[in-house]
Amino acid sequence: MEKLKEIEMKAVNWKSIREEGLDLEYAVPIPKNIANDIFKELENSLEYFTGDLSKIKVFGKVYPLPRQQVAYGDPGITYTYSGTTVPALPWPAPVLALRDFLVALRGIKYDFVLVNKYRNGNDHMGEHRDNEPELDPTAPIASLSFGQQRTFVLKHRDARKTGIDKRPIPPVKMPSLRIDQSDLKCKNGCDYFGNPQWQGYCSKCHREQMQRQRKAEKESSATLPKPEQKKPDRGLRIPSHSSFSKFEEKRLRQSETLKKANLLKFSVFKKSSTDDHDHSAEKRPPEFKIPGIVNEGMKREFRARFPQLGPAVDRDSRLFVHSFIMDVIKCANVLTVDELSERVQRQYQRFMKHMDTSSHFANVEADTKELLMDFVEKHAMTYLHELPSVVFSPSGTDDERLDRAMSERIQQLSWVGERHLDCKLHRDSPDCRQLLYKAISELLGMDSALSPGDKLCRVRRCCRHVLRLCAAPASADDLLPALIFTVLKANPPRLVSNINFVTRFCNAQRLMTGEGGYYFTNLCCAVSFIENLTAESLNMDKKEFDCYMAMPASIGGSAWAAALSLCGAAREAGELRAQAHALRTRTDHVHSRALLLAANAQSFEEQIAKKVHDVLAKTPLEIKPRRELPRLGNLKEVNTGPLIDLGTTSVQEELQTKPEVKPEPLAATLLPIPTESKEPNITIQPETEPKLNILGFEVIERQSPSKSPQNLDQTWDLKQTSSLELLTPSPLGFTPFDSRSIDELMTPDEFGTDQLAPGLSNINYDIDLSDFSGDNSIAEEAPKSEPKDPFSPEALRKITTFDPFAPQTSKGFETALDSFDEFSFVDPRKQETDPFEVVHRGQDPFSPVELSKDPFFNPEKQSTSILDDNDTPATACLLPSPIQPQSSKKPT
Amino acid sequence: MCKMKVIEAKIVVLGSQGVGKTSLVVRYIGKMFSKHISPTIGASFFTCNINLENARVKLQVWDTAGQERFRSMAPMYYRNANAALLVFDITSVNSFAAIKGWVKELQSNVPEAMVLSVVGNKSDLEDLRAVQSSEAAQFAASIGAQYCETSALHDQQGIDQVFLNTAASLLKLSNSNLVSSLRSYDSADVDPDKIPTGTPTEEDATHTGKVELPAWSIDSIAHGDVQKNMCC
Repeated sequence: MEKLKEIEMKAVNWKSIREEGLDLEYAVPIPKNIANDIFKELENSLEYFTGDLSKIKVFGKVYPLPRQQVAYGDPGITYTYSGTTVPALPWPAPVLALRDFLVALRGIKYDFVLVNKYRNGNDHMGEHRDNEPELDPTAPIASLSFGQQRTFVLKHRDARKTGIDKRPIPPVKMPSLRIDQSDLKCKNGCDYFGNPQWQGYCSKCHREQMQRQRKAEKESSATLPKPEQKKPDRGLRIPSHSSFSKFEEKRLRQSETLKKANLLKFSVFKKSSTDDHDHSAEKRPPEFKIPGIVNEGMKREFRARFPQLGPAVDRDSRLFVHSFIMDVIKCANVLTVDELSERVQRQYQRFMKHMDTSSHFANVEADTKELLMDFVEKHAMTYLHELPSVVFSPSGTDDERLDRAMSERIQQLSWVGERHLDCKLHRDSPDCRQLLYKAISELLGMDSALSPGDKLCRVRRCCRHVLRLCAAPASADDLLPALIFTVLKANPPRLVSNINFVTRFCNAQRLMTGEGGYYFTNLCCAVSFIENLTAESLNMDKKEFDCYMAMPASIGGSAWAAALSLCGAAREAGELRAQAHALRTRTDHVHSRALLLAANAQSFEEQIAKKVHDVLAKTPLEIKPRRELPRLGNLKEVNTGPLIDLGTTSVQEELQTKPEVKPEPLAATLLPIPTESKEPNITIQPETEPKLNILGFEVIERQSPSKSPQNLDQTWDLKQTSSLELLTPSPLGFTPFDSRSIDELMTPDEFGTDQLAPGLSNINYDIDLSDFSGDNSIAEEAPKSEPKDPFSPEALRKITTFDPFAPQTSKGFETALDSFDEFSFVDPRKQETDPFEVVHRGQDPFSPVELSKDPFFNPEKQSTSILDDNDTPATACLLPSPIQPQSSKKPT
Repeated sequence: MCKMKVIEAKIVVLGSQGVGKTSLVVRYIGKMFSKHISPTIGASFFTCNINLENARVKLQVWDTAGQERFRSMAPMYYRNANAALLVFDITSVNSFAAIKGWVKELQSNVPEAMVLSVVGNKSDLEDLRAVQSSEAAQFAASIGAQYCETSALHDQQGIDQVFLNTAASLLKLSNSNLVSSLRSYDSADVDPDKIPTGTPTEEDATHTGKVELPAWSIDSIAHGDVQKNMCC
């Protein structure tokens, strides 16, 4: 405090804010180190108002002040705000020193101070105006702030108005928040930067500080052997536990630092405006909603458990659970745990009363009401249990620390055996071990149960196992020691938290009465006994006891631990064995099924084989007829034979082919026959060989279009030549020929020329004999007239156009052929060759003879061909051409 | 079918180790439930229904561990109890002195009225008697309790009477409406015509089952008066 007088007032760097209605000057006149000292002194010396003076009345309601407050001043001064009159206490030394400091700084001697202490981030002061009549309006209000930084918000009063009067004046925030570099430095003043995580120390100083702290704790725990005292980590627990405890420790440390870092906001002599930091209000979610799954779960279980009860009961219970949860969550932050517990119990009673009075529950029996109560409690608490720090080891309680302490205590007492407790246990009997093991697993399961009712149920089951463990007839005298023994061996997680949770939030009626309540009481007794266990309570020598207690916990492992772990292993082995057994039965099943499948498959195969065999036996090889396809080609070849030679050999060929056709199906040698048939042709006209080649190709291609061979055979026999003529184009022109033929109806001349498939060309050739001298030039025009009058002399001319097998005409053909892309591929050449051949043929002396013969043939051919042509449009197109030559001949 | 009053009460058995609390209880329930109870199941907690003239008393009997080392845990047991059986051994003065201690403790720790019954056990050991029955009766009267002597070995009737007396006193207590922890309600599911008094009802509840006892001697003993209310 003396240092305050040494501060150089002139050196203070004043800054100012001037806004409408605001005249503010601020500075940091007290250096950090001095300010810290003052803060400490204020912390130590000031005492704050309690009782009514620590409450505030807002709109007729009384609230606890969200901060601590005390007022000092010259004698006789009071200060009234918000309906509270604050008496001024005599000045204490540190505050007086500050007043003197202000006199030196600003030359104003204040006579009253209100000290506000903000203990943590939730303490605050709302927006207010210092417009009380007692204040001197001419004197400025001075505000001094110590401790942590806080925002100081100034608002214009008009900005708070509503409606028209409201003016959008933005609030002014004191820039004093600006953090000085010195503020960032380590608190130890070692010139390194500090960190809020390390409580403002630099990393090195923080570590040292922590070590000192731990040492101090160690010492304190050594002097006070109470279980509540924090003990140094023994580092002998299982890893998961130790990591958990580490986390615990961290958490605890944090909460401690929070407590340490409470803020003393020292607002001296009335501030000109408010400072508020309603962080807590902002953090809170605006509207909390219970997830629908709670509701759904209740609905489902209600239907399952109380099918006889009406929907009104269902709705009532769900409504209650909803309001109950909401109420607890709302109050959890405000009330202490005990208050909350009371409130919860009142809620239970409220629901009980509701059940007694409401008409919905008129027909519900008392036992069912109790079940409903449990049901409601279960669902509400199951949900609340999962919310962190609301009902299970709530914030503001020591539960978690006590859990750790208890766990360590039990660890330390692991040497306590059944003889110390006078339990009648038969360590050697496997039944006994099994029972103990079961009891322990139930006890361990208590932590995982969510609702108090479920936890109680676990305890009840545990105690029943313990009772069976004791010699019959087991009484309380036996039960309690055995239960203590079980707890010691189980070391259940979060034991204190669980017990407190049940005690606080279980329906009191259930807890006080009933089997569950009785056993739970026993458990509480056991825990209490363990907590306060001494040498006397074990009836043993103090020295021996101390010796045991000094022993590291790891050594204290007893035969029981081994027996229990054996039990666990045995159980696990049993489970595995059962699993293996199940697997084995399954594999056996699969195996038998597989065998069955194999047998089935075999018998099926045999059956099929037998059937096939039968079928084969019934139907000897008749697959050969399929070769008729190539025979078709042969037929055509055979038929082509006459085409080539026309009249000359046709008769012979017919004679030849007819016999040949019949043997074909029998004889596989198909190709040789046509060659034989052609041989005569060749002998007659060696020049036709190229055609034969062509035809040979055709034969092969023929196989693709499938035609019923046998039916046609006879017709073939009859038609032969004519049908051959018709068919020949298709082998040459392939499939496109058909489509072309349709298109070519428009231009029959071209069609005709193009269709100069060998057969046709031959026919034309006949005509050529007569019109050999015809102009080639007319060739293109002529076909147009063709359709008009095949029999007219013009037609003859047209025919001459066909003939132009002379080199000249070939050119014309080529041009015409060029127009047809498809034909240009193959046909032109062949056709070109054809004309030449035909030219040679022109020599044929037989031709006239043929002609004479032709008429004989032709009528037959025509008739047959016409019949065929009618069937297919393609042949219809072809129809005129065969007719023409005849017609042309007839006139000739 | 008429409505029947049902009272639920918790009764705690207190006394030093070795006075025969357990054998008392075992004798009581053993006789009643020989059919139902497997011998391995304990007798530390059980419920029984006692039918009185126009009411039914559901008794929850909490046995306590009598060892001296568990003495400090007793408050957990007798919290919210409506009745207490204070059992002592007539051959042991110390056990009778302990009863006096229990009574003091109950009076200072239990805020609500309780039905107290002082039971001198081991009446079969008359030769070794160290506590005179007159002395015990006098003490019982001074604390407003009833006194009876029993023998867990022979005297089944005495034990039955202890429980019956307690039940009757509890009924009175509930009628006085002074005790809030004593639950009572009307039940429509009990038909007194159907269940003749004295016949055990085969209700499924806890493993210890429930019992109906004959109500023949209510008037003779029922004088367990209300303790003065200790609520502050």
